[in-house]
Amino acid sequence: MKLLILASLILALPLFALAQKPRKAFAYDYTIDDLPNGLRLITVPTDYPNLVALYIVVQTGSRNEIEKGKSGYAHLFEHLMFRGSERFTAKQRDDILKKAGADSNAYTTDDRTVYHEVFSKDDLDKILALEGDRFQRLKYEPDAYKTETNAVLGEFNKNSADPEEKAYEVLRATAYKSHTYSHTTMGFIEDIQDMPNQFDYSWQFYSRYYRPEYTTIVVVGDAKRADVLAMVKKYFGDWKRGSYAPEIPAETEQTEAREQHVDWPSETLPILYVAFRGPAYSDDKKDKAALDLLAPIAFGDNSDLYQNLVLKEQKVDSLSFIFEDRADPELFLVAAKVKDAKDMDYVKQQILATYSRFTKEPVSKAKLDSTRSRMRYAFALGLNSSEAIAGALASYIALRRSPDTIEKLFSVYDSITPEDIRQAAAKYFVEKHRSIVTLTTKKEVAK
Amino acid sequence: MKRLLTFLLTMALAAGAVGSNSQAASSRTANMNADTNSVLLPNRSPLISFRILFMTGAAADPQGKEGLASLTAAMLAEGGSRTRTYAEITDAMYPMATGFGWQVDKEMTVFSGTTHADNLEKYYGLIREMLLDPGFREDDFQRLKEEEINYLKNSLRGGNDEELGKEVLYTMIYPADHPYGHQNVGAVSALEKMTVKDVRDFYQANYTRANLVMGLAGGYPADFPKRVDTDFAKLPAGTTDSSTVKLVQPKLEPGLKIKLVQRETRSTAVSLGFPIDVTRAAKDWPALAVVASYFGQHRSSNSYLYQRLREARGLNYGDYAYIEYFPRGMYQFQPDPNLGRRLQIFQIWIRPVEPQNGHFVLRAALYEYDKLIREGMSKEAFESTREFLSKYVNVLTSTQDAQLGYALDSRYYKLNDFPTYMREQLAKLTLEDVNRAIKQYLKSDAMRIAIVTKDAAGLRDAILSNKVSPMTYNAPKPKDITDEDKLIEAYKIVVKPADISVVSVDKVFQ
Repeated sequence: MKLLILASLILALPLFALAQKPRKAFAYDYTIDDLPNGLRLITVPTDYPNLVALYIVVQTGSRNEIEKGKSGYAHLFEHLMFRGSERFTAKQRDDILKKAGADSNAYTTDDRTVYHEVFSKDDLDKILALEGDRFQRLKYEPDAYKTETNAVLGEFNKNSADPEEKAYEVLRATAYKSHTYSHTTMGFIEDIQDMPNQFDYSWQFYSRYYRPEYTTIVVVGDAKRADVLAMVKKYFGDWKRGSYAPEIPAETEQTEAREQHVDWPSETLPILYVAFRGPAYSDDKKDKAALDLLAPIAFGDNSDLYQNLVLKEQKVDSLSFIFEDRADPELFLVAAKVKDAKDMDYVKQQILATYSRFTKEPVSKAKLDSTRSRMRYAFALGLNSSEAIAGALASYIALRRSPDTIEKLFSVYDSITPEDIRQAAAKYFVEKHRSIVTLTTKKEVAK
Repeated sequence: MKRLLTFLLTMALAAGAVGSNSQAASSRTANMNADTNSVLLPNRSPLISFRILFMTGAAADPQGKEGLASLTAAMLAEGGSRTRTYAEITDAMYPMATGFGWQVDKEMTVFSGTTHADNLEKYYGLIREMLLDPGFREDDFQRLKEEEINYLKNSLRGGNDEELGKEVLYTMIYPADHPYGHQNVGAVSALEKMTVKDVRDFYQANYTRANLVMGLAGGYPADFPKRVDTDFAKLPAGTTDSSTVKLVQPKLEPGLKIKLVQRETRSTAVSLGFPIDVTRAAKDWPALAVVASYFGQHRSSNSYLYQRLREARGLNYGDYAYIEYFPRGMYQFQPDPNLGRRLQIFQIWIRPVEPQNGHFVLRAALYEYDKLIREGMSKEAFESTREFLSKYVNVLTSTQDAQLGYALDSRYYKLNDFPTYMREQLAKLTLEDVNRAIKQYLKSDAMRIAIVTKDAAGLRDAILSNKVSPMTYNAPKPKDITDEDKLIEAYKIVVKPADISVVSVDKVFQ
C-alpha cells in the first residue's frame, strides 16, 4: 500500500450536539448583541482554525424597489459599495483586503443584500473598520457612478446568453402584477439602461436602507464574542438609525391562469416553467413547511414524475423545482428542459397532473419521514466551513434576524402530517393562481 | 451505530493520523495484491468525504470516440449498479441527502461525495457497488448520452458564451489529434455513434488499481481505509499507469490566430491564451501564480486587468488571468480540485462586452498583456500579491473536501501539503524571480484568441483593417484613461487574413 498520510486538520465541529437526539438543526452556540442604534451582531465561534467569515446582511433586495423605473437599485448598490468611502478609497480598501488574503464579494436577492468576506482572523479589526466606513460614509462621484452602471449592464449582458434567465424574467413579470417580485434582482433592462441618469436617486436609496435597523453583522469562525463586539461598537456604534419603511405593494388577487411564450433567437432545448402562487416564509405556520416537504417528493430526482419523464421515457433533459424562502408570498416553480418541442404539451400535462395528484392524495408517512431526514442531513452537510455556516445563516437572518428561526422551522417540519401536505397543496395549487412560461427556438432558427 | 459514536467521542485529535497509519500497514499484510494509492485525512468531523480518483480522462479517449471517458464516468455515477437501478440508488441516498458527483478532465476522473457519519455504511455500500459492480444498462446509457450531447449542443453552444469561448480557445491550442485536442464532454458526432460496449471496454482498460488513488477525509472509523482497500482490490491491477503516456505541448505556429464564433447573442466574449511550460510541479509555478493573481485574480476586484477594464472603464463584469485550467468559472469563486494536468495554458478571460466595444476590448487586453511582459511587476505589487496568496491558500482549503482535493493534487504534482508548500515557496520568492518568470514563460508570439459574437464578419474586417476603435463613455474619464484610450484604440493587431476565421456556433464541438 503506497500511502500518504497528511497531518490531521482539527475540525472540532459540534459533534457531540449532532450525535445526541433530538438533534438541533443548527448545532452551533451563538450570541446575539443588539446595539442601541438597532444594529445586530451575531457571533458564532467555530473551531475551524485561522479563518473568520464576516457576512453583513442588509434586509433590502429587489423587493424594496417600489418606484416605477427604479428596479435593480439594490443590486446596483451591491456594486457601488465597492467604490470607496470617506476614509478609504477603493484602492486603499482593495489593498487592505488583498493583504488580508480575503475572498471578498457580495450578492443581492429579492429580500437581501449580503456583503461577505473570509480572511485571516488577525485582520478582523482592520476589515470591520473598512466595513464601518462604507456602511456609514460611502463616497462616489457621478463619473464613477456612471462607470459602475456600465458594469451592471455588463452583468446583465453576460447573463442574457442564457435562455433560462430569460424564461425566469418573463415568469416573474407574468405572475406578479403589483408586487415588486415582478422583476428579477437584475431589474428590467430599460431601468438598467436608465441607471446612469439616476445619480441622485442612488443616494436616496442608500440613505433609506443602509441603516443599522436593516443590518445584521454575522461573524463566524476563529473569533471571540467579546473581541468582536468591542470592534463592532467601535466602528458601527455611531451609526444613525433611519426612519424609512417601504410600503411593499401587496400582490393583487389572480383570477385566471396566465401563460406566456418566448421565442429565443438561437438554438435551445425547449423550456417549460409551471408555477403556482405559494406562501411566504414562516417558522410557525404549516403551509410553507408542508410545501417544502412536498417539493422533493412530487418533483425531486426521486419523484414518480422525474422517474417517468427523465429516466424512463427520457423526454425531459432536466426537471427541477424552485421554492425559495421569501419575505412575501413566493412562486412554487417546476422547471423542465424538454428534449423535443413536440413533447411540450405532454410534459406540461404530466406536471399539472402531478400538482393535481397531491391535492387529492396524501403522501406516504414513510416518504415524509425520509424527506424530513433528508432535509436535516442536507442542512448538516452544508455546514462544512465557517464561511458555509455564515452563508447558510445569511438567508435566515434576512428573514428573521436570528438563527433560532432555523430551529423553529425544523420543528414545524417535524409536526407536518401527510394530511397537512395534502391540504396545503389543495389550497395553493389552484388553476387561477397558475402561471406558465414556455420558451422555444424561434422558428426560422430551428432545424 | 454505537461503535461509531464511541469511536468519534474517544478519538484523540491529531492521533487519528497515527491510527490510520497502522491500519494502512496491516492492510498490505491482509491483501498482498492490493496496491491502492491513498490519501487519508482523518479528523473528528462528523462528515466523511470521499474523493475517489482515477488517473484517466479525456486524454485517454480513443480516436473517433471523443467523450467516452466522460460518458463512462457518468454511467458509473449516474447509472445503476448490477443489482440496483439508478432509481433505487437515488432512493437509497434520498434520506441521507447525499449524492455522488463526478468530474472528468484530461488526465483525471474523480468521484466525490460527503456523508454524515451516521450514514457511512449505507453510503459507502452504494458507491462501492456503483464503482466496482456497475450495471451499464442500455436505458441509462441512452439517457446519459443524450444529456452529454445536449450539454454540447445547447448548454455550451446556446447558453453560455463565456465557457464556450474558453473551450474553443483550448481547441485552437491543441490540435484534434492531440490527447488534449477535444472538449472533455467530447464531440457530438462521436457521442452519437457510441455504444454501451465502448463504455464497458473503457471501464475495463482504465478503471484499474494502477490508476486509482483513494481519497478519504473526516471522522471515519480507524479500520475503514483497510476495508476500502480490500474492496477496491477487486479492480484489475492494470498494466501501466496512464501517467507514463507521453504528452507534449504542441508547437504552435508563431503569430496571432483568431477564431470568431458567430452566435445570436447580445454581447461579445473574448478568451486569449497560449501554452506554457509550467505546471504546479514546476519550480517556477509559485512565481507565475503571483503573476496571474496580480494580473487577474479570478473573480476578484483586486487585480490589474479588472481595475483597468472594469473599474476604470466599466467595460464589462470582470477580467481575469489563469495558469491552470479553470472550468465553470462563471459559477464559482474557487477552482475545483482534481483538474491536474501535465500541460497548461496561460489564459486571459474578458467577460462579455457590448458588441461595439469588442474591438476595443480585444486591443485593451493585448495592450495590457504586452505591458505586463514589457514592464513586469513592481516591488509593491509583488509584496502585496505575495501576502495575499500566502493567506488565500487558507481560503482555498477551507473545507474538508477541498483539503482532500488539494492533497490528491499535491500527490499528483509530487508536492508536500499545498498550503505549507505555497507559504514556504512564496516566502522565498523575490521580485526578480517573478519578473524573470514573466520573461521566460509569457511569450506572446503564438497567441490564440477565441471570440463569441453576433457580427463576426464585421469584427473580423475591423480587426484586419486595424481601423481605429474609439471608446465612448457615458461619463467623463480622467486624463490618464483618455490618453491611454488613444493608444489602445489604435493598438495594432498583427494578424494575417488566413489566420482569422469565422465559424458558426453549430459547427463547434460537432
